Amino acid sequence: MSGKQREYRGRIRSTQSLKKIFRAMELIAASRIGKARQRLGESAPYTRAIQRAISSVAYHSHTDHPLTSDRDDTNRVAVLVITADRGMAGAYSANVIREAERLRERLEANGKEVVQYASGRRAVSYYRFRNRELAAEWDDGSDSPKFERAIEIADTLYDAFSAAPEDGGVSEIHVVYTRFNSMVNQEPWVIRMLPIEIVEGVSEPSAEVTPLYDFEPSAEEVLDSLLPRYIRARIFTCLLQAAASELANRQRAMNTAVTNAEDIIRQYTRLANSARQAEITQEISEIVSGADALAAGS
Amino acid sequence: MTPTAKTAKTVGDEVDEATPAARGPVTGRVARVIGPVVDIEFPADAIPDIYHALTTEIDLSSQGEDEGVLHMTLEVAQHLGDNMVRAVALKPTDGLVRGATVTDTGKPISVPVGDVTKGHVFNVTGEVLNAEEGEKIEITETWPIHRKPPAFDQLESKTSMFETGIKVIDLLTPYVQGGKIGLFGGAGVGKTVLIQEMIYRVANNHNGVSVFAGVGERTREGNDLIEEMTDSGVIKQTALVFGQMDEPPGTRLRVALSALTMAEYFRDVQKQDVLLFIDNIFRFTQAGSEVSTLLGRMPSAVGYQPNLADEMGQLQERITSTRGHSITSLQAIYVPADDYTDPAPATTFAHLDATTELSREIASKGLYPAVDPLTSTSRILDPRYVGKDHYEVANQVKSILQRNKELQDIIAILGVDELSEEDKIIVARARKIQQFLSQNTYMATQFTSVPGSTVPLSETIEAFKGLVNGEYDHIAEQAFFNIGGLEDLDKAWNRIQKEIG
Repeated sequence: MSGKQREYRGRIRSTQSLKKIFRAMELIAASRIGKARQRLGESAPYTRAIQRAISSVAYHSHTDHPLTSDRDDTNRVAVLVITADRGMAGAYSANVIREAERLRERLEANGKEVVQYASGRRAVSYYRFRNRELAAEWDDGSDSPKFERAIEIADTLYDAFSAAPEDGGVSEIHVVYTRFNSMVNQEPWVIRMLPIEIVEGVSEPSAEVTPLYDFEPSAEEVLDSLLPRYIRARIFTCLLQAAASELANRQRAMNTAVTNAEDIIRQYTRLANSARQAEITQEISEIVSGADALAAGS
Repeated sequence: MTPTAKTAKTVGDEVDEATPAARGPVTGRVARVIGPVVDIEFPADAIPDIYHALTTEIDLSSQGEDEGVLHMTLEVAQHLGDNMVRAVALKPTDGLVRGATVTDTGKPISVPVGDVTKGHVFNVTGEVLNAEEGEKIEITETWPIHRKPPAFDQLESKTSMFETGIKVIDLLTPYVQGGKIGLFGGAGVGKTVLIQEMIYRVANNHNGVSVFAGVGERTREGNDLIEEMTDSGVIKQTALVFGQMDEPPGTRLRVALSALTMAEYFRDVQKQDVLLFIDNIFRFTQAGSEVSTLLGRMPSAVGYQPNLADEMGQLQERITSTRGHSITSLQAIYVPADDYTDPAPATTFAHLDATTELSREIASKGLYPAVDPLTSTSRILDPRYVGKDHYEVANQVKSILQRNKELQDIIAILGVDELSEEDKIIVARARKIQQFLSQNTYMATQFTSVPGSTVPLSETIEAFKGLVNGEYDHIAEQAFFNIGGLEDLDKAWNRIQKEIG
């Protein structure tokens, strides 16, 4: 009997200390998420501007630039997955990876060969564990990404895209990340970054005013220098979105974990109390019946 | 001293000295009746020995029943002094009055032994319960139920495994040929069903005799068992002794000894291998505790008798194998309130070679037999006896299940996605192992309409080896549920794939 009580008490204690950790993680995530949202908001105007510029150039110049047109000399495609470095964020990383695996299946069904890139330790360990080759990997700082990291990733991908087929060039670049819709809604999201397919944020030029563009020195050169910037900005936005989503997910997951821990503590407390009560009742009845037996015997 | 027929005679001789036959049967008078405990006064020079059987008669006509006279046996438990003995009644003492005459039989309770016991059902005093009308049963030999355990140098020292064809038992708690096996479990987790399953599996393929002792369990189950044994024909090789839950504590305290005595005769005199089934050994302890306080003993922990370990030891030490001739015993042990630290099951543990613990948690998942793979153990789960392969596979299975159990708290709090990749695989394999440890049994055929299966040990080891090494990671969990060997697994998996399309 006392064995049971001890076991319950031990579990209550360990769950209580877990609960403290979870509560702390929740508070940390909550305090960081404001900053992450702010950075996301601040990066938006630049990204929007560069997007508008890119779409205008692509729309108005009629050049066949390699970055905007489909490439068919290789069937290799790059997929970048952006996950968290640490766990404790519920299904956040698992959802992104699942989406990436779906994309991979889709691409492979179309006869493509996937070259995997991974950002975030969770993704790296996922592919490592399955002995899948990673073309490049980045970790650290998933919840507060730096622009230098975005440049690094963007340049690596851009290099792969512009490389010749025999040097491991790829024909497409996909990014799988988690889009931050709001505090309560984030979803895994896939974008095809290159070649540029959908041009966001561009309105059809109205009939009356047709802006005239003149490219100096040439449309190709403008695109050549504009596109790397565009990719960097896009990648950085993805990283910021992912970071905000990660923190929101972590806050939510830790909140649930605290509630679950409390449930478990309550459950074990009841069991421990009833074990304690049973033990007391047992002892009383033993003493009383022993005394009775002795009294009856004499 | 060897426990053979000769021993029995020696005991008899001593008895004769104590009560010279010339004086005729000694009689005494009932002085006090306290439930199942009766105090009797005897002449000062003819006090009956401890364990001697006494008889008396109760006139039932005064109670308005049509039966005439109830013959009752009592067993001397204590000498109180002042010419008084304290005896435990083996029948209800309703109607017994002070002053009633009690006769000393001059010997302990004796039961018939030998071939005559096969195919028959007995009560604790060795009366045949299933004699057909006009059938004459010739009892050639009777043995007293209190006997000495075999001497040390007579004990069997060889150890070999006893295959049952149930995966979880053969793999994780291999039974010992000629050993003592305990089936522990709380109320309603399937102890009796598992005992009956073992009877079906081993008694049917066993060429020796079987003895079944029904101690304090449901009378209906006893009846079912007799019916079943009659249908399968095993009853011809089986002796059954019943003292079920409607009997007074004195009977439940002694019925296991009566059955054991019959088994000992087959072992020692007929030199046969015997299977002894006892359902349920806890009732023996319980009966002891019921009379203990009335006998004037001070209750000990949890209200049990103070001589709990001694009583259990006297019974268990006799259930053993001597050189070349074995008694393999299977004992069901009820665990009160699922508490394994309760003195009754805790005392029994030490005597057993293999313990199979049935768990409510597993039974509630619908996995039968509900053997708890982590707490069940066997003395021979050791590379010296079962071989390296078996030992390693069993340990791997246990470590996966143990790791899974540790992870359950994390899963409950954080969710399964938080686990590392390695742990996710362990959890998936552990779930498959849990399912695969369930098996279609012969006794459950009437509930599930799936016939039972017998899996050879080599196949069990091979299957679990594949499972822990991840060879079946592609097969869905459901395919492992309630099946026998690898062939069944293939079939189940094909069926599931067809259903999903």
